[in-house]
Amino acid sequence: MLLVPCPHCGPRNSADMSYQGEASSRPDPSSATPAQWRDYLYMEHNPAGWLKENWYCSSGCRRFFSVERHTVTSEFREPPLPGSKTAEPGAGTDRQGGGS
Amino acid sequence: MTKQVIELSEKSAKLSPVFRRNQAPRYSAAALLWRGVRNDSWPRVWREPQLKKSYDAVVVGGGVHGLATAYYLAANHGITDVAVLDKAYLGSGGSGRNTAIVRSNYLTPEGVAFYDRSLDLYNTMSADLNLNVMFSERGHLTLAHTDSAVRTMRWRAEVNKLQGIDSTVIGPDEISKIAPSLDTSPNTRYPILAALYHPPGGTIRHDAVVWAYARAADAYGVDMHQKTEVQDIVCEGGDGPDGKGPGAKVTGVRTSKGDVSAPVVINCTAGWASLIAAMAGIQLPITTHPLQAAVTEPVKVFLPTVVVSGSLHVYVSQTDRGELVFGASVDPFATYDMRGTLDFTEELAGHVLELMPAVSQMRLQRQWAGLCDITPDYSPVMGFTPVEGFLCDVGWGTYGFKAGPVSGEQMAKCVADGATPDLISPFALSRFNDGVLVGEKGAAAVGH
Amino acid sequence: MIRRLEPQSGEVIDRETPLKFTWNSKKYVGYAGDTIASALLANNQQVFSRSMKYHRPRGVLTADYWDPNTTVQVGTEPNVRGAHRLLEADMKVSAQNAWPSLDLDVKAANGLFGRFLTAGFYYKTFIKPQRLWPLYEKVLARFAPGGVVDLNTPHGYHDKRYAHPDVVVAGGGPAGLAAAISAAKAGMSVMLVEQNHHLGGHLRWGTDQDRETADDLEAAARDAGVEILTDSAVTGRYDDNWIAISQRDHPGVVERLIKARAKTLVVAAGLVERPYVFSGNDLPGVMLSGAVRRLINMYAVRPGNHAVVLTANAEGDAAVADLERVGVEVARVVDARAGETISKATGSSKQLGSVTLADGSTVKADLLVTAAGWTAPTSLLNMSGDRPSYDPAAARFFPTALPDNVIATGGLVGDGSLDELIAHGISSGELAAQRAAAVKHRLRSTVTRAQNPKGPEPPVQQDRRIGLSRAPHPELYRSDTHGMVDFSEDVSSKDLVNAAAEGFDSVELVKRFTTATMGPSQGKLETVNTVAVLAEARGETIEEVGTTVWRPPYAPISLGALAGRVFEPVRVSSLHEWHTANNMTPILAGQWIRPEHYGDPGAEVANVRTNVGIIDVTPLGKLDLRGPDVPKLLNLLYTNKWSKLPIGRVRYGMMCAEDGVVLDDGVTGRLGEDHYLMTTTSSGAGQIWQWVEMWLQTEHPDWEVHVTPVTTGFTSINIAGPKSRELLMRLVDDVDLSAEAFEYMNVRTGTIAGVPDCFMWRIGFTGELSFEVHVPAGFGLHVWEQLIERGADLGVGPFGLEAQRIMRLEKGHFIVGQDTDGLTKAPTTGLRALIKLDKDDFAGKPELEWALGPEAPELPVLVAITPTDPRLVPDEACQILREGTTEIVGRITSSRFSPSLQRSICLGQVTPEFAAAGTMLTVRLCDGSDTTARVMEHHAHFDPEGVRLRG
Repeated sequence: MLLVPCPHCGPRNSADMSYQGEASSRPDPSSATPAQWRDYLYMEHNPAGWLKENWYCSSGCRRFFSVERHTVTSEFREPPLPGSKTAEPGAGTDRQGGGS
Repeated sequence: MTKQVIELSEKSAKLSPVFRRNQAPRYSAAALLWRGVRNDSWPRVWREPQLKKSYDAVVVGGGVHGLATAYYLAANHGITDVAVLDKAYLGSGGSGRNTAIVRSNYLTPEGVAFYDRSLDLYNTMSADLNLNVMFSERGHLTLAHTDSAVRTMRWRAEVNKLQGIDSTVIGPDEISKIAPSLDTSPNTRYPILAALYHPPGGTIRHDAVVWAYARAADAYGVDMHQKTEVQDIVCEGGDGPDGKGPGAKVTGVRTSKGDVSAPVVINCTAGWASLIAAMAGIQLPITTHPLQAAVTEPVKVFLPTVVVSGSLHVYVSQTDRGELVFGASVDPFATYDMRGTLDFTEELAGHVLELMPAVSQMRLQRQWAGLCDITPDYSPVMGFTPVEGFLCDVGWGTYGFKAGPVSGEQMAKCVADGATPDLISPFALSRFNDGVLVGEKGAAAVGH
Repeated sequence: MIRRLEPQSGEVIDRETPLKFTWNSKKYVGYAGDTIASALLANNQQVFSRSMKYHRPRGVLTADYWDPNTTVQVGTEPNVRGAHRLLEADMKVSAQNAWPSLDLDVKAANGLFGRFLTAGFYYKTFIKPQRLWPLYEKVLARFAPGGVVDLNTPHGYHDKRYAHPDVVVAGGGPAGLAAAISAAKAGMSVMLVEQNHHLGGHLRWGTDQDRETADDLEAAARDAGVEILTDSAVTGRYDDNWIAISQRDHPGVVERLIKARAKTLVVAAGLVERPYVFSGNDLPGVMLSGAVRRLINMYAVRPGNHAVVLTANAEGDAAVADLERVGVEVARVVDARAGETISKATGSSKQLGSVTLADGSTVKADLLVTAAGWTAPTSLLNMSGDRPSYDPAAARFFPTALPDNVIATGGLVGDGSLDELIAHGISSGELAAQRAAAVKHRLRSTVTRAQNPKGPEPPVQQDRRIGLSRAPHPELYRSDTHGMVDFSEDVSSKDLVNAAAEGFDSVELVKRFTTATMGPSQGKLETVNTVAVLAEARGETIEEVGTTVWRPPYAPISLGALAGRVFEPVRVSSLHEWHTANNMTPILAGQWIRPEHYGDPGAEVANVRTNVGIIDVTPLGKLDLRGPDVPKLLNLLYTNKWSKLPIGRVRYGMMCAEDGVVLDDGVTGRLGEDHYLMTTTSSGAGQIWQWVEMWLQTEHPDWEVHVTPVTTGFTSINIAGPKSRELLMRLVDDVDLSAEAFEYMNVRTGTIAGVPDCFMWRIGFTGELSFEVHVPAGFGLHVWEQLIERGADLGVGPFGLEAQRIMRLEKGHFIVGQDTDGLTKAPTTGLRALIKLDKDDFAGKPELEWALGPEAPELPVLVAITPTDPRLVPDEACQILREGTTEIVGRITSSRFSPSLQRSICLGQVTPEFAAAGTMLTVRLCDGSDTTARVMEHHAHFDPEGVRLRG
């Protein structure tokens, strides 16, 4: 089981965490065009390499945080220090789940 | 309709409607006996051709989708100057890693029509392609453990019935008759309240489907290139870097075995769909998650049907070889790493034993994973893209295998006609721009 | 026991303890310490199974865990490894793959047709006529190998354990033992896992001196505090050294899964002896040298009487010595190192008869021993990312690159004298200890703690071990004849050659086409031979062909052990005992167990409509929100406005996701200046808490809001009905509950039945005058019982979820997730007035703006529907059709028979074309018939003006 480096709790089992997907920034809702907004809602970079992503330490400190993980080797880069701006918002919809 | 596709479709129109197959030896019991008596060996299932400098169309991905697309391009439309490229061996991706369940009892009319066509093609595939794909029409039970799940099963059944699909909601007594190993007593943690029963569903030998399409496409002259990795897609005229991106047009691909020029490139990959699309400057609404599966040691056959539980995130069937084959939902986080996890097997075993306590002494002998491209509405991305000549048949999530034949048929038609066939129009990439998603998400759950 | 030898110095059997057992219902006797296979062999039983496809008789091949031929059924347990499982008193053992019996096996006729049943034959036949394939399939399925599952087998008791050892050592041979000892001496906690019943590996079937060394090492390991598990296996190495161990030596538990987060893993799995491929290599009487040595030295069993030995290494030579020592006539030693080999073996259906040598001469023999070389079982290394490479000089695969936290030692990495192996083990244990120490340091310093380790992290220790040499070994894979490659799958080398010729010529394709390596041995015996035969067929080297990736588990593990004790907790409210004592019919709602009703939901509805009822609504999600910026948060999450909510007021709100899809709904009240209580749906409680935290932490970390989930901190009770005020007034003194002082959609804090700090909301889902009270959970039962007791004369009674669902449907309240689905955007609900597009921002605002704008696509509309036939209740999920067609234009989302109105009522989603009040709809019922129904003006079927509610 992958160890995810929570900046507050230290390395924790990924099962203690809730994955929040790619980090993306929310466009200004008052000026966003449909194309921009739906990019934010649906489009993903999905790289095979380093990915900035968000996790929620759902069974630990319950903090959201961003980390960079390599999506092929599963390595993490140094986590940000506690107290810094730790996270950007994820898209609103839950992308996890099975098929239909 | 894009210009390049028009040219290709004009080319196909000029050909005679009856297309010639090469003289491949037919498979039959008699032939098997004859060769057995004479101790003859069989010829190669497909050739090992040299990569040509140009093709009319290049299909990226040698799985069921890619091979079926190539086959139908040749068989239905006479477009035979086609290369199928795979970075490993044919069927090395999801096609050879799935749990080989087929069904058509989807939730939306679009979904039902689409998968029903696929089931039709699977039904006659052995004869059509002259290779026994061992389609086992053993029936498919989707269990419901809560009243809301019962409601969803009824929803599916009602939609299915309207489209002439054999699909009904049955109660515990009937479930018990169909699959006596299921614990249908009311006192379990997740009691089985009802099930959606779909008699036409079943299992199939997934590798055989790959080989059948490859062999049949080869007979039409389609070139299959294994261990040939696409490294870039060459475009011109686009807004992005290197002339890629919306507005561009495809001129060919760069591969590990050399450059190929082609006016049409079809992305039929799973697990790498985003990366291939990015080579043409196209972004997709896809995240890639592993889907794990596992198999037990064989025992004498006792489970006659496919059993799925959405609430317990598990599906199980028993092969003719006696192994129980299990699957679950995709891994919780995106990764391209196909390592298995222990927690998958623990959860799986726990849930299987909830359903069938009697199998606790059976042993798991192998686990593996494949990559699934998940879209926001659990429906695929098919057809044209903003790059001329670059088409996609991707985003198949966990259900791509079921759709292989019909996807190939429709993608071939899309290329040959230069227009999006009705059957796949709900799955256009543009729907995400329009904010009109497909309704399979309405009852999103594990559902193999 | 005619095959039992005189006592052997290394024997592990206890001749003082005979054990009776049955084999295919016949009685036999073995000794404690015997495996099932050794006991049967000692009883002169040679044939243990029939092969999968050709039903060829099979005897002992390897006499260890990986033996493909000795898998048996023991009682209800299928697929027991007979050459590994220890004999127990009164065991009922039977052969698995023989029908009707092991001796008379009619399916063996398949053997005659072998040339037609080549690998993959089924792909080429049974094609036409297609309608016959299901019949053929049934016949094929009868050939499924393996044991029988007794459908009455209980789940059994299985435990699990979490462990945090510094070092796990997989393999208790000399190198593994030495590594465990040195790591433990360096101060590490060490767990040593050995698959066999005894430590020492090959030393156990070696010389007396070997066994002495093994005993010394074992004693040293125990002295050093190493935790030793035998009859156990490291089944998997997962991300970040998450190690799965199947433990079978734990008292009271048949098989236990240990999950260990090891700082370093030492893999000392040793070597697996490889069968030689030749015609007749699966005849009973053909054995590997290791099998012979184990049988003689450990189990005192004579493996045969007249032997031929093919030897390519010292193990084969030792087998010759062992055989001669116990008086087996060794008719011929064939030395592969001198270029000699054998061609084939022949015999009767059940016994080897003679061996044909490469020169064509034959030797009579009932035992043929092969020592053809080794397979490195690199499974755990594969799982660590390693792709082993082949060394033709040593004729086996070796690891190439391992991560820092995985270290290989022993036979996996090389050969050498016993001293050299032990020395390598020692240095591997030291390396493992040093690296584990570095990991420890890192773990402790990652997060600021009171006692962070001092000093910089020690660098990862470089591997400075003196390597083991690689002993030269002839490449000995196949003779000039074809034989079995995969014994459990009945795949021969001829099958592989044919498959390659047909184009299935990569190792993965050939594996898939022939099923070689897919059986219960999972390639431990077969993989390298498969690769070698394929390389020969393709005219390539073994390196060029490459090998397959070994996947977990290393050894099969039972579903029971993986499942453990099923841990699926349920949630119940503080009133659960009361409900149970009062005839509740329970219903599962998410994790909650709730009363569906107490006997008669219709009567419960009637009682609420005429008197007063109480319902336990504890599962309702509750979030305590405090801070000056709560109104900003509410404005952001709900579609309506919250800035001006006065203290003491509550308001209904609907939440949307960023795509405009309805996410949740509920009521939030303002309890004080900076204090709010938010309620969510029961099923959404967890998700909404996370949703609130997400917005606060990521988008607006500057907002001062503190969120506390209090769902189970309060027992929530709704008191509903015309007499609800009268009832509550009897229990409350400090709050004025009169209609004038406590209006609809207000909240008060006060004392109920002597319990202070209770919240009282005047709201309700039932359409009646009602009060929802939130009582500190410890006093929930007290308040509930007081309500029942003090309201007896008012006719108070409990009501369950079903009555509430009926009443909410009578009132036309939708349920998120039932009347809405994963694509239902907010405008569909009809609550247009609650979507305030003039707010600066709220979740999902842009999508809702477009959904309500001029270019909006048509969205379905939620409407109330009454069937024309008032007695007819269409099932929920029935489809609504365009009349005379099968075009779906909507569906029934909720339906019930209304006791209050004495008719059927529904909610449903329809396309806008069918949404106007008065529209007649065609509803397709589940039985296939159609009925008609009318669209209503209001969602509420009952009391649409809400007179009762506000009373």
